Amino acid sequence: MFKKFIYSKKVAPYVFVLPFILSFAIFWVYPMCSTIRMSFFDIKPAGDIFVGLGNYRKLAKDPVFRIAVGNSVRYMLWTLVLLIPFPMLFAVLMDSNLVKAKGVWKAILYTPALTSVVISGTLFRLMFSEYDTGQMNQILHFFGFESYKWLKNGHTGMFALLLLCCWRWTGVNMLYFLSGLKSIDKELYEAASIDGATGWQKFHYITRPLLKPTTIYVLTISIYAGLAMFLESFMLWAGNASPHNIGLTIVGYLYRRGIEKNQMGYASAVGLVLLIIALIINFIQLFASGTFKKEKD
Amino acid sequence: MKKKILAMLMAAAMGATLLAGCGSSGSSSSSDSSDTASTDDTSKDQDSGDGSTENADDPVVSTYGDDSGTHLELWTFVDVHGAFYGKMVDKWNEANPDRKISLTATTYPYGDMHDKLLMSLQAGTGAPDICDVEVGQFPNVVAGEDNWLYAEDDAVAPYKNDMVASRLETYQGENGKQYGMPFHVGATVMYYNMKALEDAGITQADVDAVVTWDDYAALGKKYLDAIGNPDGKYFTSVDTGGTDWLWLAMSEYGEDWTGGMGGKANVQLESVKKMLKMQQDWLNSGLAEVSPDGHVDLEAGFQNILDGNIVSFPKAMWYMSRFINYMPEEKGNWYIAKCPVFEAGQKCSVGIGGTGTVVTNQSKDPELAADFVAYAKCSPDGEQMIWDDLGFDVCNTSLWTQDDFAHNTSNQYNTFFRNYPYDVLASIKDDIGKISVTKISPTINEQICTTTLNEVLEDGMDVDEALQEAQDAVDLEQ
Amino acid sequence: MDATMPMTNQKAKKVGGTKTVILSVISTAFFVLLCALVVFPVLAGLLASFRPGRELIRKGLALDLNVKTMSLTNYAYILSGNEDSIKYFTWFKNSLILTVVTVLLTLFFCYLIAYGLAMYDFKGKNVLFFIVIATMMVPFEILMLPLYQEIIGMGLIDTTAGVVLPGICSASTIFFFRQYMISLPKELMEAGRIDGASEYGICFKIMLPITKPAFASMAILCSMGSWNNMLWPMLVYRSADKFTLPIGLNTLLTPYGNNYDVLIAGSMFSLIPVFIVFIAFQRYFVDGMTVGAVKG
Repeated sequence: MFKKFIYSKKVAPYVFVLPFILSFAIFWVYPMCSTIRMSFFDIKPAGDIFVGLGNYRKLAKDPVFRIAVGNSVRYMLWTLVLLIPFPMLFAVLMDSNLVKAKGVWKAILYTPALTSVVISGTLFRLMFSEYDTGQMNQILHFFGFESYKWLKNGHTGMFALLLLCCWRWTGVNMLYFLSGLKSIDKELYEAASIDGATGWQKFHYITRPLLKPTTIYVLTISIYAGLAMFLESFMLWAGNASPHNIGLTIVGYLYRRGIEKNQMGYASAVGLVLLIIALIINFIQLFASGTFKKEKD
Repeated sequence: MKKKILAMLMAAAMGATLLAGCGSSGSSSSSDSSDTASTDDTSKDQDSGDGSTENADDPVVSTYGDDSGTHLELWTFVDVHGAFYGKMVDKWNEANPDRKISLTATTYPYGDMHDKLLMSLQAGTGAPDICDVEVGQFPNVVAGEDNWLYAEDDAVAPYKNDMVASRLETYQGENGKQYGMPFHVGATVMYYNMKALEDAGITQADVDAVVTWDDYAALGKKYLDAIGNPDGKYFTSVDTGGTDWLWLAMSEYGEDWTGGMGGKANVQLESVKKMLKMQQDWLNSGLAEVSPDGHVDLEAGFQNILDGNIVSFPKAMWYMSRFINYMPEEKGNWYIAKCPVFEAGQKCSVGIGGTGTVVTNQSKDPELAADFVAYAKCSPDGEQMIWDDLGFDVCNTSLWTQDDFAHNTSNQYNTFFRNYPYDVLASIKDDIGKISVTKISPTINEQICTTTLNEVLEDGMDVDEALQEAQDAVDLEQ
Repeated sequence: MDATMPMTNQKAKKVGGTKTVILSVISTAFFVLLCALVVFPVLAGLLASFRPGRELIRKGLALDLNVKTMSLTNYAYILSGNEDSIKYFTWFKNSLILTVVTVLLTLFFCYLIAYGLAMYDFKGKNVLFFIVIATMMVPFEILMLPLYQEIIGMGLIDTTAGVVLPGICSASTIFFFRQYMISLPKELMEAGRIDGASEYGICFKIMLPITKPAFASMAILCSMGSWNNMLWPMLVYRSADKFTLPIGLNTLLTPYGNNYDVLIAGSMFSLIPVFIVFIAFQRYFVDGMTVGAVKG
């Protein structure tokens, strides 16, 4: 009887998703509630003091938080521009029969992601050193320019961050697209070729629509990862303090408040604002792309 | 097919690396003391195995002392500190057979150790008995006072008269109780590249004759003129990423931008303005450059010193270990002297940086833990070890003038510089000022280092204007 | 017939002739160039690992190929069996075990959950999917303190279970599997049912094989994430003999000076296992699994 119940088509999906429900109930509900509660308190060693919306009101007026949000949003938008179309094209190219020794290139492109941010951030910090021995300055010297203080200017600082990000994630995103391409039936292309479709037409009418689920996935995680970037900036400036806060991100600000100043209440408010921003952007995107609709084949 | 073989080869390589690991741990028990010595030493590069062995059987879990003793757990963020405590436990057990200790020292990554400590204190469980706390993080930890920590006043009492009072004060709570024990004074002194100066015809007597910042600037001009004012060479470098210069200025005028415990923070101090304006003048006249990487204690800063681009800079005495670790080829070139002042008769130094060692009230035997910490960090036995192993300027003043301590040539710090560091320290004993580290300190620090110093020194902004902006930002937080 | 198409298939290759060869050279050259750029920092790090840490400070991250100044000293130090070496390999071993456990459990559970979400229509499905996405957007830093307290309360502190369990149902992995599976043909399920297979049989015997490319990329991604994850293991583990590689390597970076010798060489050495995982799994991208399965 029980076995039959478990094996029924109605019940099976619930069995499949049960681990998530359990994990959510155990490891998410309490911490989330606790965090939301903390955001209304001033957390003190001697006992918490209720401040109502005080933390949020302070946040709304906080000029440094505005800088942090600006940096994070700018960074996120740039990563979307750089880390979705290009890896997709690379993947398509890689998937074609034109490229030789594919395994080697894939392995190399993927290597940066293997390094921890701690070590790669340090390497990039040395590369972007304002001292004459930094690689970027050596390149400038090669073209006859003077050394430049890369990490003291907002634009070049962002450039360094984006370069680090592209360096690390191009290979990974390419990988996502490559595995997405594997789910596309090759016969579709053959059929299209027989119908006389051009290369661009095939990409436009077959590859792109069929890669849509993968694209949505990459888009969604990129939006969050971009908004939540912290460690890259922390390593690039050897700490959370960058000149004029050019490298300060939302999570960096959360860290500054929560850890460096031990204001857990205020930090919780910062984190929840980040959550809300990320949720709004992503749900607009997900609804617009129809991910929540019942899929029709 | 080829790929399969490749994958198998790689898997084999992976197994081999693992085996290598196991193999090496198997041979660990028989490994001799010369290997261990290099880890005891602050410098990993040095092959001279002069350190003593520690009696830890398992190097991964560093447990020291007597198993039968009371077990205490210690967290630190510097590996050599852990080894130092280990040695002190043995000494303690010898001296106190009735109160033996077995100590487990765990080294965590720097920032994360402080996160973990704060969380454990907040949770009321999971904290160690003893913990090293970096001075910048200390206000967060000491905020818990008796709720979180155990007061060390009784433990430190036997040594108190000999200790530099301002350093003890740094690690006190708002209630005036002693919650942390210092490693060092961190007295700020002037480091001069005497070899480079001599090449330019400047003698040690010339350096000794420097009393005020005007004298200092004049000496700098003399040096630069002598070498023909080449591009890229400066007398000193000023910091955009550190507040050492400003702390020194405040100490000279007896000011404190935090306003002390319970005071109101004010960054618009006369001393700060004077220092920043003076530095702007130096930058304009080519006497100084802005430190690459923002201060002298990072890779580019070391490079700058090694390349001889700057020949003098003020820094705390713990910077000596940077010479030993990263600039060993500079041995015999550098001379340590007291810092210049704005007006003759002012204090000429300030204590910077440090690690306060706390005992948490979650400890099973806080009294024992506190007594041990006081012994390790304040007693002559402990101070000797701190000076020899860690190279710090110790807080116990009774040792500063003792010949076998301050002039002992088996200590590498005593032989590295042109003069004995402790001779300088003893000569400025009463001139070491103190800037408080309070709840507002991280805010001031962050504002000054991210914004103000960059505006003043990089962008050439008006000092008063920049400080007004900084004050406004600080006022939002108090 | 247009051969300018990058993903031109076999047929085009036969027809294209020399034009295809040229295109092939160009596109291969493109990847060579891209890889050269990408490999640069890794190479710089690798070269630095063959020199004393002091050199790094003296000369910066120089791309100095002079073999004479290079030595294996740093690696010899790591492999020497001395105290630092034992520590290093304890971290290494712990990381390896933790990574294997995490990846296996994560892949198993996330696949099941995603399968439920992608292949069935059931009540509350969209709400659940919504929650999955939402949990992906929560910055871990704000959950850290309460989760830490909870783990202490559950007695899981200092255990591998405490490290692994909270992250097992990784939202991004579920999401990826789900996205992958919604484009798979549902007719296979019906065919399975007609053949008398149970719901679970379909899940494991029919659908799992054609999800291999997704498994491959998630295995790579998860092992990479687990291998480099530091914050949470650091909070849960209390005993130094359980520390993982990222925790250990980070202890070498302190405000009192960095130990570059072991740090750089140790980091380079630690790339090996994840690289092996990559090599082992990446072949799944080469042959199109799906096509065969659907046709078969």
